[in-house]
Amino acid sequence: MKTWSASSLPDVDNVNPYCYSVRLAGSWFVQKGAMIAYYGDVRFDAVTAFASRQAWAAASFSSPLYVQDWVVAEGNGVVLLADRGFDVNSFDLAEGNLTVRATNLLGFAPTLELKQSIVPGFVTLLGTGTFLASSNGPVIFVEPPFRADPEALLGWADCPSPAVHHDAQWMMASLRGALQGAFGRASGEERQYDFTGAGTVLLQSSEVQREDPALLRLVTEQALQLTPQQSGVLGAELAARARQQQV
Amino acid sequence: MATLTADGRVLQVQLHGDAVRAVTGSMVAFTGAVQFKHAGAGGGDGMRAALKRRVAGESVSLMECSGSGTAYLAVEARQVAVVDLVGDTLSVESESLLAVSPGLTLDVKFAGMSGISSGQGLATTTVSGQGQVALMSEGPLIALEVAPGQPLVVDPDAFIASRGQLSTSFVSGVSWKSLVGEGSGEPFSIRFDGAGTVLVQPAER
Repeated sequence: MKTWSASSLPDVDNVNPYCYSVRLAGSWFVQKGAMIAYYGDVRFDAVTAFASRQAWAAASFSSPLYVQDWVVAEGNGVVLLADRGFDVNSFDLAEGNLTVRATNLLGFAPTLELKQSIVPGFVTLLGTGTFLASSNGPVIFVEPPFRADPEALLGWADCPSPAVHHDAQWMMASLRGALQGAFGRASGEERQYDFTGAGTVLLQSSEVQREDPALLRLVTEQALQLTPQQSGVLGAELAARARQQQV
Repeated sequence: MATLTADGRVLQVQLHGDAVRAVTGSMVAFTGAVQFKHAGAGGGDGMRAALKRRVAGESVSLMECSGSGTAYLAVEARQVAVVDLVGDTLSVESESLLAVSPGLTLDVKFAGMSGISSGQGLATTTVSGQGQVALMSEGPLIALEVAPGQPLVVDPDAFIASRGQLSTSFVSGVSWKSLVGEGSGEPFSIRFDGAGTVLVQPAER
């Protein structure tokens, strides 16, 4: 087993397929929990706290929904990032845009700008710089036109945001699908993301999901738009579902 | 002398009439004449170790594999690595211990507050003597050197084992504390000073 030290660790490269090393001289945005170890003098600050001292941080990270899941690593040292033993890949953007699943984004250089994607659970990176994303299994690159399973979708670059495709044929073809459809319940397979235009779609070879802490915040935020009566209906439905799942 | 060989996600244990202690229930297959029996409350180290472990909250449930043949050990398809000890001591997060070769002593060392953040108990297990230790991790282990003037800070959830002349302390940034309770951030981390090696896994428990 090779023993790494602060000087022998790569500047910005994989230590092994599951761990990435970033030599820090300045600052980087890092998802909370992604740091497994570091050498040197590095401070980790909540993005909101950091932005109150350094105004540029607020401009680079413009997503109130995800801001509490992120920190700024600042200082001089080497930071090791990893995620659940998943493959960690680095991507370089040059005046580009790439949208990635928020829970799979581990870190990005402050030269990039993060914005919330219109597709729930995804964030968009704009500009020039390096970012790190994890994937369960190696990343698969495909070109549109293409339909992807929402769970296996890791992200997309340069092409327009996907439309949701509801595969009626799939539902008719399978008795289970048709029954579930009739009861207003979905198995998931009939819902697909439809990509068109020129660009690249990134897939992971697994559908294992991590709980997205921002999802609850997103839904809560949107539920505020409901009328009092609609809120009551939604509340009753959720309570019934929670009871059903407990049994 | 029994030998431990790591083979990806499986540990091969060659037994020649001697005994190896391993995590209870980790046997997936064996050839030859191998017996498995519970190593007792102290994991084969007697009542004193059992008591200490109870107090420390380090739960290691071990079995004794004895006889002649080959036993294959694995837990949840975790990656296996074998560390050779030459009379020195390895501190191991007890959940990461898979097997120890005969002649090694297991003990419990109180490590201050590290357990509070990781929920891993208040102490770490130490293995000392001459022999082999098999460790488990999520993804292949990464060995990181600690040298004087070059301290290392590790997330307690990624920590697997350490060896050498190391002292530990706890880093808790003021800003971190305000984040506690908001999810999976590192409320505080373990800092290693001195000279030695720390093994971490590319995942968090």
